[in-house]
Amino acid sequence: MSVVEFTTPAAMQAFVKAADLSEKIAIRNLDFFYGHNRALKNISVPLYENCVTAFIGPSGCGKSTLLRVLNRMYDLYPNQRAAGHVALEGEDILSPSQDLNLLRAKVGMVFQRPTPFPMSIYENIAFGLRLYEKLPKSELDDRVRSALERSALWNEVKDKLHANGQSLSGGQQQRLCIARTVAVKPEVILFDEPCSALDPISTAKIEELISELKEDYTIAIVTHNMQQAARVSDFTAFMYLGELVEFGETSTIFTNPSDERTQDYITGRFG
Amino acid sequence: MSGLASRAEALRRLQRGDATFRWMTRAAAIAVLVILGGIFISLVHGAWPALRAFGFGFLADDTWNPVTEKFGAAAAIYGTAVTSIIAMLIAVPVGLLIAMFLTELCPMWLRRPIGIAIELLAGIPSIIYGIWGLFVFAPFLQQYVQPAVIGAFDGIPVLQDVFAGPPYGIGLLTAGLILAIMVLPFVTSISRDVFEAVPPVLKEAAYGIGCTTWEVSRRVVLPYARVGVIGGIMLGLGRALGETMAVTFVIGNAHSISESVFAPGTTISATIANEFTEAVGDLYTSSLIALGLILFFITFIVLAAARLMLMRLNARMS
Amino acid sequence: MALFDARRRRNAIAMALSLAATGFGLAWLVVVLGVLLWKGVGGLSLAVFTQMTPPPGSDGGLLNPIVGSLVMTTIAVALGTPLGILAGTYMAEYGRYDPLTTIVRFINDILLSAPSIVVGLFVYEVMVARMGHFSGWAGAVALAVIVVPVVVRTTEDMLTLVPDTLREAAASIGLPRSLMIRRVAYKAARAGMVTGVLLAVARISGETAPLLFTSLNNQFWSANLNAPLASLPVVIFQFALSPYEDWQKLAWTGALITTLAVLALSIAARVLTGQRKPS
Repeated sequence: MSVVEFTTPAAMQAFVKAADLSEKIAIRNLDFFYGHNRALKNISVPLYENCVTAFIGPSGCGKSTLLRVLNRMYDLYPNQRAAGHVALEGEDILSPSQDLNLLRAKVGMVFQRPTPFPMSIYENIAFGLRLYEKLPKSELDDRVRSALERSALWNEVKDKLHANGQSLSGGQQQRLCIARTVAVKPEVILFDEPCSALDPISTAKIEELISELKEDYTIAIVTHNMQQAARVSDFTAFMYLGELVEFGETSTIFTNPSDERTQDYITGRFG
Repeated sequence: MSGLASRAEALRRLQRGDATFRWMTRAAAIAVLVILGGIFISLVHGAWPALRAFGFGFLADDTWNPVTEKFGAAAAIYGTAVTSIIAMLIAVPVGLLIAMFLTELCPMWLRRPIGIAIELLAGIPSIIYGIWGLFVFAPFLQQYVQPAVIGAFDGIPVLQDVFAGPPYGIGLLTAGLILAIMVLPFVTSISRDVFEAVPPVLKEAAYGIGCTTWEVSRRVVLPYARVGVIGGIMLGLGRALGETMAVTFVIGNAHSISESVFAPGTTISATIANEFTEAVGDLYTSSLIALGLILFFITFIVLAAARLMLMRLNARMS
Repeated sequence: MALFDARRRRNAIAMALSLAATGFGLAWLVVVLGVLLWKGVGGLSLAVFTQMTPPPGSDGGLLNPIVGSLVMTTIAVALGTPLGILAGTYMAEYGRYDPLTTIVRFINDILLSAPSIVVGLFVYEVMVARMGHFSGWAGAVALAVIVVPVVVRTTEDMLTLVPDTLREAAASIGLPRSLMIRRVAYKAARAGMVTGVLLAVARISGETAPLLFTSLNNQFWSANLNAPLASLPVVIFQFALSPYEDWQKLAWTGALITTLAVLALSIAARVLTGQRKPS
């Protein structure tokens, strides 16, 4: 499907064709319900391959909810359901026949609070790897190392790989979680406010990481921090009260938004 | 991506184990229900001959004659009730007072040690209370306390019959006192937990208008914590009703109902403990199991009521 | 002012009473433990742990009841713990929103406080009467029935404490539910769950009533679980009620050993979690 409701559809299509982007995840007419409460209303938005797409908006607008649809995390809880179409490279991930574990292996997630497993640093990463592949020890070591290098954590932990993951600092723990996610070779990585529990220096390191990761992965990031969205993302979606208000290139959204609500939010009038 | 097919394959293998594990946990949860059901059914089955022979009169009859094979539960039920009531009459006020002390008066550094000490009381196995009661407490009561009490109430109507001699040392009151010591830590522990959960703002509001500590405890803390405290009391009661070893040693094992609390008596659990292995004849054994069924019934009702109250409390707190 | 004085007086009396009550409670602890130590310590010797129970009038020890208790406790824990952990796992994980869980929790809490003599009767009916004889197995099963509710409760409580974000993190790398529970949730709740087992062991170490007519007692050394088996609490019961002084002395010593074991387990459990035990 190529017709999408953008505020500047022609410009968008021209841009997309020119940059030769393909849609990794296609979200069309997505509704989401907590019980009878409709939290997402008719959302249609693309996630382009190897780009960073930021979701911004005031608290309660539904951005985290949207993210959690993409790896069907909501499935863990009763009373939460999604309706509509979400396709990962053409495959409908909302269908009941979708293998959830396989989906989550392809679509990884990094959470707001760092959540290392109660194991050693090495095990945190090896754990996921062992699930999917039978690797000899030397190869396992290499994969762990490359995941840690990818997350810019290797130098800091290479001498204490067997220390408990929870003994690291907040910023290091979050990078460990990123390493863990990257190790299982996903195609998409979802970041749900990954820096909100971290100090500014760790935040900067992670933002740098995200910019590098997009070379190999498609990234979606939910953030409260508009400057972060402006720094890190290629595309931005502004959401409000469960609706997608505006979507476009980050530079356009922040300098010349089309919708008044977007303008108000960006200039700090609310949220 | 490479390896995707093998990844799907690996996951599919794990999926099968997943379903098995889930099934096992569900079966285990159901097994808990089966255990309770099993207890009930086996007790009914074992008690059936006695129930059929004596009917509901079993509950009111206080004969207990293995020779003529006439049995009645009345003496045992009476003993269970009296000892438990004595235990609660002492344990509840003392437990509440200790809980109040721990939450209001006690200096901070002393709270944990005292709390631990009280919980140690709960941890001592009941057989230790039994032998302590038989060898130390009962003789003490017999020599010093009972004669004094009997003398003191002599001549006063009603009370002189309740506290009538001879001073055996063992008996209903002794058993009740030991039960009180055993139940005390339960009441204290739960009351303290509930008192501590009272929002400080409520207490501060009362202190702020000049209430004394006693008034705050009585008028604010206790009413607020009322449901939890009652739940704790009923849990303690459940324990007192079912307690066997401590009571067996000091109750005197006499199947009789008497007015005096100094007299020997018996409780349901003490009867079963003392007589089960000696019981000859199916009716005798069955009567003992019938006693067990009655006890199970009583404690089930008390514990269920306690849990319902605590559930209501939790619902209110969250 | 008179009213204020009256209130102040009432407060002082109440506070004094509460202090007295605390002293009262603590005094009993001192008295009971003190007597236990005094009467039991005298009999403590190597012989107690190496010799068997004697006929009245001779010297002996408590070897067979100690061993019998250890054996039955171990079997009881081996039987009851897996069942308890699995049930608690269902309640905290898969069955969190299942109405079955509410029912099981309710019933489990009742089982937790049920009179242990009733458990003894149950196992008597189901095992002893059916098999035709008393046995160590029956005793172990009776103890296992007491272990299960304790382990179920602590497992459910401890697993519920594990934050959902940890579960979601595990799900986010595609971990199937059972692996997430076994490799992540159990690990996170491990200390608490071990505490539950320790508490269960402490609880059954002192239990006498359920053994009275399941494993009965055995004067002699026996390693046969299919026959009556000696246990420390039952021997204490028998010896204490006997008219023989040397048996009574052994009973006190046995009581001291039992209490020390129970207290040691409770302290270990407390140290492990660093908090008060669940009530």
